[in-house]
Amino acid sequence: MQSHTILLIARQFWMNTFKPRAIYLIMLLMALMLAYAAYSGWKHYTTQNDIRTHYQQVARESWENNPDKHPHRMAHYGSFAFRLKPPLSLFDFGLESFTGNAVFLESHKQNTLNFSEASFSTGLLRFGEISMAMLLQILLPLIIFFLGFTAVATERENGTLKILLIQGASWKELLLGKTLGLMALALLFFLPVAVSVLLLFTLTDDLVLTSDVGGRYAGIIAAYLLFFLVISIITVLISTFSISSKDALVRLLAIWLFLAILLPRTTQALGNYFYPSPSKVEFEAALEEDLLKEGDSHNPDDSHFKALKDSLLQTHQVSSVEELPFNYSGFVMREGERMSAHIYDRHLQKLLQTYQQQNNFTRLTAFINPFVAVKGISMALAGTDFESYADFQRQSEAYRYQLAQQMNELQMEYISNTQAHDEPQVISRDHWKEFPDFQHQFITINRALRSETLSIIALLVWSVVAIVLLLTLSQKAKAL
Amino acid sequence: MYILFLKQFLRSRAVVLSLILILVIGVISILIGEQFLTRHEKTVTEVTRHQQEHITRNVNFHNDDLGLLLYYVRFTLINAPNPLAALSIGQRDVNPSIQSVTIRNLEGQRYDTDLTNPSNLQAGNLDLGFVIIYLFPLLIIAFMYDLLSAEQETGTWRLVAVQSTSTRRYIWTKVSIRALLLYALLIILFSVAILKLSLPLSGALLLFVLLSMLYLAFWFALCFWIVSFQHHSNINVLTLLSLWVVLAILLPASVNNFLTNRYPVPEALSTMVQQRDGYHEKWDMDKSGTMSKFYEHYPQYRKYALPDEDFSWLWYYAMQQAGDDDAHQFSLAMREKIGQRDRSSHLLALVIPTMHTQLQFNELAQTGLSNHLDFLDQTYGFHEQLRLHFYPKIFENALANEEDWGQFRPEYLDEHREIDGFDTLLPPLLLTLLLFVFTTINLRRI
Repeated sequence: MQSHTILLIARQFWMNTFKPRAIYLIMLLMALMLAYAAYSGWKHYTTQNDIRTHYQQVARESWENNPDKHPHRMAHYGSFAFRLKPPLSLFDFGLESFTGNAVFLESHKQNTLNFSEASFSTGLLRFGEISMAMLLQILLPLIIFFLGFTAVATERENGTLKILLIQGASWKELLLGKTLGLMALALLFFLPVAVSVLLLFTLTDDLVLTSDVGGRYAGIIAAYLLFFLVISIITVLISTFSISSKDALVRLLAIWLFLAILLPRTTQALGNYFYPSPSKVEFEAALEEDLLKEGDSHNPDDSHFKALKDSLLQTHQVSSVEELPFNYSGFVMREGERMSAHIYDRHLQKLLQTYQQQNNFTRLTAFINPFVAVKGISMALAGTDFESYADFQRQSEAYRYQLAQQMNELQMEYISNTQAHDEPQVISRDHWKEFPDFQHQFITINRALRSETLSIIALLVWSVVAIVLLLTLSQKAKAL
Repeated sequence: MYILFLKQFLRSRAVVLSLILILVIGVISILIGEQFLTRHEKTVTEVTRHQQEHITRNVNFHNDDLGLLLYYVRFTLINAPNPLAALSIGQRDVNPSIQSVTIRNLEGQRYDTDLTNPSNLQAGNLDLGFVIIYLFPLLIIAFMYDLLSAEQETGTWRLVAVQSTSTRRYIWTKVSIRALLLYALLIILFSVAILKLSLPLSGALLLFVLLSMLYLAFWFALCFWIVSFQHHSNINVLTLLSLWVVLAILLPASVNNFLTNRYPVPEALSTMVQQRDGYHEKWDMDKSGTMSKFYEHYPQYRKYALPDEDFSWLWYYAMQQAGDDDAHQFSLAMREKIGQRDRSSHLLALVIPTMHTQLQFNELAQTGLSNHLDFLDQTYGFHEQLRLHFYPKIFENALANEEDWGQFRPEYLDEHREIDGFDTLLPPLLLTLLLFVFTTINLRRI
């Protein structure tokens, strides 16, 4: 096997590709799509984050501007959590358009994440979105198939294949050369995308290429390189083992339709079918049932809180709650919040777990579908995957809980059990400023990678198997 | 002759296999639609049972305090799916079909979503609409791309040219056989859907079927036009698939991106913040200001004077009302923004048959954005009626057990949108006719 021959074949393949005019049309189309995807990804990122940061500040200012008042009023006043878009969401939109962006946080009650982009959609979102990642995951594989289906099949049809083999090129050299040539073409389309992302980072002040983002970016590049390698090898192999170029083309197109369009939708539907998740009505009914079972702080006759009161009186050696050294209703609410948040958390974890089970159905198909593998890795590294969404939900709930308990503790400490006449039960507004604002933290790159271990393994397995297949099958290829 | 053509076409294993494949996927899509309807029915049963329990329990707790009772009690409005929704689930999986609201501040409740797995939403539904919009065209492309070129490439074309009286009639016969098969398949799928989902035979269903047939006709016309240029099979299939990618993915998705960026909806977030601030700040303000605003909104309640107490439910609900009133303009602006998106996408869809068909399917099945906007509007009316019913009773300190709670069962959205068949069918019809004219011109040269 000579590397010289391989390079020669790769070069010849590359040159041949640029002979028909159609390739320039494809390049133009891809360039336009890339420009549009980069622009709208950047635009959406900056607009949305500006809007959300703005309202986070507006909401915070109102919070801090509250006058002296009873802390429980502030617990109801509540706060908001707005989900920030991660920097690389301008590259891969992932689930961003389908997840809620804002949630109202108050005591006693966990609200839903509202105002997803999908909820404002006219129904067109069904057709997908144009993002740079989408171009790489859906469009570029199709272009590779378009450019590569002739790789070996046409040489056979023209009779040039026999000449090549007679002149001393081995099958192995031929297939490696063709793969190399096709991979180089894939890179020609891929590199502008990779550069565009970097360009957007340098041109925008808000976008900083931290080491975390850099790591994510490198991971994304590596994943797509492996993916295109796999796609290129599949193309060359199909082209080699089809009886005609038409046959090769139809097979490749069928593969694309099946793996890129049909299978992901079907497996997600199956996951949904096998692991049904509750509607909000069912979820809340189950939650309420558990709450009533374990203790309802809003029910004056609840047995749990009666028992608690008795033991409290005994410990402090007093006969009535008014004599306790802290505010009793603050104490009851703290206990109620602790219990309800605990029960809610249990139900939420179960719900998220059901969603994960639904998703795992698709994730497992990464071993038969490289498109799913690269999609999972890309979303996770861009921070637009399910894990990031679930994490935002946990963060906002944790903040809500802190807020409610902080207010309950302020009430226990500063509000007296008995109300003197004409003396309002309020505390200083300084306390509002002391309580920090919500800060959305993105999950670390390590956690993102861990959540997609399966996809990473699948993509590596695909790469290895593809290379091994290319090398072994080259011995079985026939010239006629 | 015709039967022979048919037999010859069906001799290909790939043809039969692809027909069976699409039939199976079509049936699965109908089952998915059925599952969607069943789940919804189950939820409605659950919510009906739950509402009664919920009311009974709270009435027992708070019989002597109607104001407090209505702080807790939630009333349900249901947007029951039209059975056609099973064929085109549309936005129904994104937007909630059930609103449970208390008579407190509406703007803080109206936009609450259902619980959904975002990955499911992203993958999209495999409903019959998807099969028709995405998969049928692919089958049409597969059947049509080598209509002429296959005969030219295998050498049978010269025989045809010599032997048949009219080559043009020969070609049309070949096309009609392919069309016959696919239309038969479409009719079979609709029959299965009608039987399995017991769809009522309505005007909307008829339009749904007619639009599907026209949509397929558009793709036949497009394919026929492309192959009438008599290029090589490979070029035909590349061109047609590229057209499919452009029409079914790139164009609609680009329009979606465009609308998202053109019409961002910050009004949603201002509504959210404003309804909180508008209500809560009133706790720290002079009561008379709040009350005069309330009396302005509801002059009929001027007769209820504010009691001389620190706290009264009249004041409390006047504050809640203020949250809604202060957020009202933002809420309207949000509604207007979403309306703009809807209008723009319908306008652009006129020339993009894939988009048009999807949006019209959703309109016919009442699963689109307009249906959801109607639902939001009627939630407002529903909520307002509850307020008008309960406000006087609360202000008069009525007892809870004087109320007939049995009458508060979940209510249903009253959806009555006019369907204009003309708007639905005309755009794809014109495009199809245009393409057939182009094709005929090309065929003259044969």
